[in-house]
Amino acid sequence: MYKFNFIYELKSLVRNGWIQLLTLLLFALFFFAFYNGQEKVEKRKSDIQAAHTEVKESDRDMLKLLDSVERGMTVTASRWTIPSKPMAVGNYHPRVAAMDPGNLAFVATGQSDLFTHYVKPKTSGDDLALNFTEITNPVQQLFGSFDPAFVIIFLLPLIIIAFTYNVLSSEKESGTLRLLASQPISVAAWVLQKMAIRLFWVILMIVVILTMVFYIHIDGASFGSIIPVIGITIGYALFWFALAFVVNLWVGSSSKNAIALIGLWLLFALLVPSLLNQMGSTLYPMPSRTLMINQLRTAKAEATKKQDQILDNFLRDHPEYAINDPNQGRSFYHRYMASQQLVREELQPVVQRFEEQLQKQQQWISQLKWVSPAIIVQQELNTLAGTSTRDYESYRKQVIDFAETWRQHLMPFLYNNQPFASADYKNLPAFEYAPLNSNTTAKTILVLIVIAMGIVGLGFAKGIGFQSSKGILTH
Amino acid sequence: MIQNTFKKELKELSRDGRVRISFLLVILLMAVATWISKNQYSATNEQYKEAETAERHIWEGQGEKNPHSAAHYGTYAFKPKYPLSLIDHGVDKFTGTSIFLEAHKRNEAQFSKAADQTGLARFGDLTPDFVLLFILPLLIVFLGYNAFTKEREMGTLVLLKSQGTSVWKLILGKWLAIFAPVFISLFLLFVVAGIVLSNLKDFGIFSWESLGVLFLVYIGYYIIFINLVLFISSKVKKSGISLVLSLSAWILACLAVPKAASNIAESQYPYPTRQEFAASINKDQKNGIDGHDPWNKQAKLLENKVLKEHNVDSLEQLPFNFDAYRMQKGEEHTAEIYFKHYNHLKTQFEQQSSLYRNLAVLSPFLPARFMSMAIANTDYATHWDFADAAEIYRVELQAFLNGNFAENSTYGEWSYRADESTWKNMPAFEYDPPELSETLGRNTSNLVVLMVWILVSFSLLFFTTKKL
Repeated sequence: MYKFNFIYELKSLVRNGWIQLLTLLLFALFFFAFYNGQEKVEKRKSDIQAAHTEVKESDRDMLKLLDSVERGMTVTASRWTIPSKPMAVGNYHPRVAAMDPGNLAFVATGQSDLFTHYVKPKTSGDDLALNFTEITNPVQQLFGSFDPAFVIIFLLPLIIIAFTYNVLSSEKESGTLRLLASQPISVAAWVLQKMAIRLFWVILMIVVILTMVFYIHIDGASFGSIIPVIGITIGYALFWFALAFVVNLWVGSSSKNAIALIGLWLLFALLVPSLLNQMGSTLYPMPSRTLMINQLRTAKAEATKKQDQILDNFLRDHPEYAINDPNQGRSFYHRYMASQQLVREELQPVVQRFEEQLQKQQQWISQLKWVSPAIIVQQELNTLAGTSTRDYESYRKQVIDFAETWRQHLMPFLYNNQPFASADYKNLPAFEYAPLNSNTTAKTILVLIVIAMGIVGLGFAKGIGFQSSKGILTH
Repeated sequence: MIQNTFKKELKELSRDGRVRISFLLVILLMAVATWISKNQYSATNEQYKEAETAERHIWEGQGEKNPHSAAHYGTYAFKPKYPLSLIDHGVDKFTGTSIFLEAHKRNEAQFSKAADQTGLARFGDLTPDFVLLFILPLLIVFLGYNAFTKEREMGTLVLLKSQGTSVWKLILGKWLAIFAPVFISLFLLFVVAGIVLSNLKDFGIFSWESLGVLFLVYIGYYIIFINLVLFISSKVKKSGISLVLSLSAWILACLAVPKAASNIAESQYPYPTRQEFAASINKDQKNGIDGHDPWNKQAKLLENKVLKEHNVDSLEQLPFNFDAYRMQKGEEHTAEIYFKHYNHLKTQFEQQSSLYRNLAVLSPFLPARFMSMAIANTDYATHWDFADAAEIYRVELQAFLNGNFAENSTYGEWSYRADESTWKNMPAFEYDPPELSETLGRNTSNLVVLMVWILVSFSLLFFTTKKL
């Protein structure tokens, strides 16, 4: 019985063009999406590369200038840009602090369209002067990107719905269900079997497409790196198949099924996420950035007024610099760096509150994401791609730490009134981005499978309980 | 016949439990979304007022200071929110809200809301525009997908034909039955929104006129969807297929095409990165605009010219502080450089916009979205307008400060301190968003595209459907 059903189903699927259409659709959507994702990654890579090249060139000029200065020649550059002055190195020759894309960055655009992927922290200015957002047309950000994550989260369920909503109802509507009822098989098992064929094909296609993508796009990584993406996608597809299975059993006519499934899609993919987001930002509201500016301004104004006093205090706290302070040699930068330090310390808690609230919101989502598989998948794909909120938060933190390293490296030169020499060049600190590691993928896939199994189990337990078993045949 | 069909369809829709539930849900969603937006709107506006007063206070209370120090200390321009942003939030979330105005430098607007949100926010916010642009068309799909297919499935189509009814009368009746509930609920919604908005305290410049135009745009958008859904229903045999096709049209129009368009626009007309943009401005500052006449060379020429004009042979003899005068000229030169580079960004932006307009052939969502944002003053063009106004103010501010410096001190007198009352003399920054007529003028092409969509979909429905 099972074998005949299977062969019959497969034949009819091929004959009415179902499999061909599905294959074509999946291929077209996924490849367009992968192309888009890849293009973004390429741009990101080349931007970072260009920044590195630029710094290399400017370093060459700097070394040339230093060399001339050390030989006692006169140089034409403006007085304050000559790199023997440590602050000139710190401000005019900053290092590139870049966030290199990971292997899977093309899978999900995530937050990457909001933020920049390299900054050059200088010695002057505060941490707030580091602008981590990117200039783009905000319309692009509003519409979002047609990336693989979008195809997986939004379109794949719709495709599954379109090809499963009438598995049972079409038999009923064409009258063949009566024939089937005379066969020794339960309706639930029979629907499950029909679903399984469709599921099998979708999974096969996903594996084929992602394997192809792997060989086209990823170079230099092991095949293992794409497996989590395949796993997540299959887990998510399972969930939607399971939903379609119970809706087929419980609801009724083709159009009612379709409406019910679309309703669920709307609920899981659009409404629940936006509601959770809204609740997250209501529970842990971000402090006002506009009011933060006021605080920043007041702190700066205070510091500017008291610059001399601040420097004295600073030198008292840092006797190692005070020894060499000839008092007359105090330049603008001596006072400025000391007062900046104070402003930074004062504003630290203010800035910290933003990051803290963001972390709390993120935590809240991590706890509640299980409400909607769409959220689970989005979070997981972003994490795999290295484009999640957490990744950018970690990058920001690393850059701010590096900015401090950069300052601390050059401060001794300034306060010891020691010129920067070409011999010191090789000791300049460099930034190395350390990506976050995540090992939640296996757990996530397991959860998705368990949810799907649970739904299917529910379908079997309830049977066709919601439709009267008489009605299913007579109507 | 039109009337009878209309009545019968309405009755049927109102008796259908699914329709009632979905209507209820949409209204509930709309209410929640509006309530959330209203709270946000009031909170943002309060913060805006507070920040603006505080900033002005800080600026005026600078005390005795060298004008150029004041110029570096700078001030902020804050972007206000407008009443209709309650209905359409547009790109507000992605654009910064404050611009730092300082000497020598044009700054970008800082602190976008999206950057302070988690990745979840990218699913979209529960806002009125989300309900209006995404959910209501979906409701139309549910209302109309089986308008003709059910007659076919139940066999009543044959009966209808035997009555000698002309097809267009039947279509029009069904069309009106879907249009009427949509029209009435939208109308009530906008009237309520209007009353709420005009009763908000400190609501800025709310005009019923803009609200009315916004209403028309949405009605036009829904008409297109009604036409398409009925067209599909009249051409297809089964309700299920009709539903799936209508839904595909919805997904294509509202989700897929806008996203694909965003990718195409981004790759065809890319913006430079923030760092590249800053670097190319730096280059022009160093080497002169496009490598001609770097500023230090021009400054030398300026010196000679001024000396000649005043018939003196040293800068000390001039009746004003030449340092400040030169600084002002330098400021004007820098402003010119910024103008050039921002114009480049603007061309990219305009080209991206025209690409969106071209792709509107595939999706009526695009022109509707752009029109709605523009009327609500939450589109990108309004943001540009604000940024440009802030830049004009910045240039004026520098002229004011350098002028004060030049007039009241002599050459080399960097120790000069301007009076504490000086800062009050510079009027505060004020910004008025573009008028409705200006907005419409700028968006004529979007209007045209929307009209074409309406006409084409109407003719599809009425002229290609000769028999059912």
